[in-house]
Amino acid sequence: MTLMHRDLRLTAVGRRYGIRGPWVLRGVDLVIAPGTLTRIEGANGTGKSTLLRLLARLDVPSEGRITGRPRTAYVPERFPSALPFTAAGYLTHLGTVHGLGRDAAARAALTWLERFGAGGYAGTPMARLSKGSSQKVAVAQALLGDPELLVLDEAWTGLDAAARAELERAVAERTAAGGAVVFVDHDPRRLAGVPDATYTVTGGGLLRRTDSGGGTADGPVTVVLAEGPAGAPLPPEAVRTARSTRETAPGRHRLTVPASHSDVLLRALLTARPPWHVARVEPGTADAPHSDPESRP
Amino acid sequence: MTALLRYQTDLLLRSQRWLPPVILYAAFLGVCVQSGQPVLDSLGYTAAALLPVSAWLVRICVTGEPPAARACVAAARGPARAHLACLLTALLAAVLLGVAATVVVTLISAPADNGHRVHVPPPRALAAGLPAALACALLGTAVGALTNAPVLRSTGRAVPATLLGALLALVWAGSPAQAAVSGLVTGSQTGRAPLPLLPLAGAALLTAAAFAAAAWLGARRSP
Repeated sequence: MTLMHRDLRLTAVGRRYGIRGPWVLRGVDLVIAPGTLTRIEGANGTGKSTLLRLLARLDVPSEGRITGRPRTAYVPERFPSALPFTAAGYLTHLGTVHGLGRDAAARAALTWLERFGAGGYAGTPMARLSKGSSQKVAVAQALLGDPELLVLDEAWTGLDAAARAELERAVAERTAAGGAVVFVDHDPRRLAGVPDATYTVTGGGLLRRTDSGGGTADGPVTVVLAEGPAGAPLPPEAVRTARSTRETAPGRHRLTVPASHSDVLLRALLTARPPWHVARVEPGTADAPHSDPESRP
Repeated sequence: MTALLRYQTDLLLRSQRWLPPVILYAAFLGVCVQSGQPVLDSLGYTAAALLPVSAWLVRICVTGEPPAARACVAAARGPARAHLACLLTALLAAVLLGVAATVVVTLISAPADNGHRVHVPPPRALAAGLPAALACALLGTAVGALTNAPVLRSTGRAVPATLLGALLALVWAGSPAQAAVSGLVTGSQTGRAPLPLLPLAGAALLTAAAFAAAAWLGARRSP
């Protein structure tokens, strides 16, 4: 898998529509680094979608500069079902547009439809899909090609609970694989505590939130009890993913991880060399991070 | 680009929105081109009518994809390339239609001049008719590219502009399409089939410029 070589960098970016139109965004400086998750917040009509369109290179700034061109996938706010394809047919086309071969694209299309619980709709014409199913297709097209940059504009809206959780896991996989993800979502608990950075769009500018992105203890967590060689440190990937880690006995560790990232953590533990033993996985209550000396800053 | 073209072609074919212009073109030829008429004259009509049909096909391709679906494709490949694929698909459809019509008209027409004195061999007529049809397909898609989104985005402006543009491209004395068509019509009077390569080259240049301008603007104008 080729990963984003350079950061996507916005320098003093402004955007307005029309030569004399009001500025929607102005003076925006932003760096999207590989492997990071970025949340964009702001009230309705403040220019969040405009910022996402600039990041996806769907739009060009009226002033300032954008550098870096990662392979990008975009999930729009509202996805139309007025396309004359079946769900699988559309996704196969989009897979090839994202650079896959035709067979690989057809396989990936079915895999992603099944992951979102829409495998039964593969042969259904898009025009007959419900709003939720059609949103699943919109999300699947973005994940098909393992993009280096994934831009999600309210992508969770309209999905059922299982698909919402699956999309959170897919985001975790993307960032663990070195891709960057930028998202807007109206639900403040969405991936709570996970984003590397949270920005608020306000008055046409961008403010970085410093209170660690919506409270670290907000979201659901999973507790993993793992055993490794005595005295061996946890795999670095596991430490990076876990919100807090504690050695309960020599070689026994208790790791707390955002529920969306439990698969990524387990993969890190099981594929480490030598592999770690996962003794137990259970839904947990979040540790208060400050009481844990080893917690991730 | 191949993936984009396949996607756009499939979109055009499945949408069935190509039916009205193709039926209208067939109906026009059915009325104006009778079997047994002088071949070059009929080929002139065939080429001329292809121009507005090509512009219409561009409109179908450009408006056929919902903006959100376009955004998904444009994020992957860039808005300019996504728009270019749209225009090339329309051009491909127009060329296929033009070639088919030219071959059929050549086969059913009388291989002679207007006075039925000079023999015009069908291969010679085809060699004259094909470049003329190509020039009209090219110029028609160029007109369509410059009179639809992202250049003119409201239907109220785009449709009259397309019609006016197509008419001008057919009658304006400097137009390659006008040169190619009038070459066929005068050729039919003398029985000497012209080879309109110069108009074809001119049309290709104009179309390349129009496509480039539309794609450039497509990357700069948010829908």
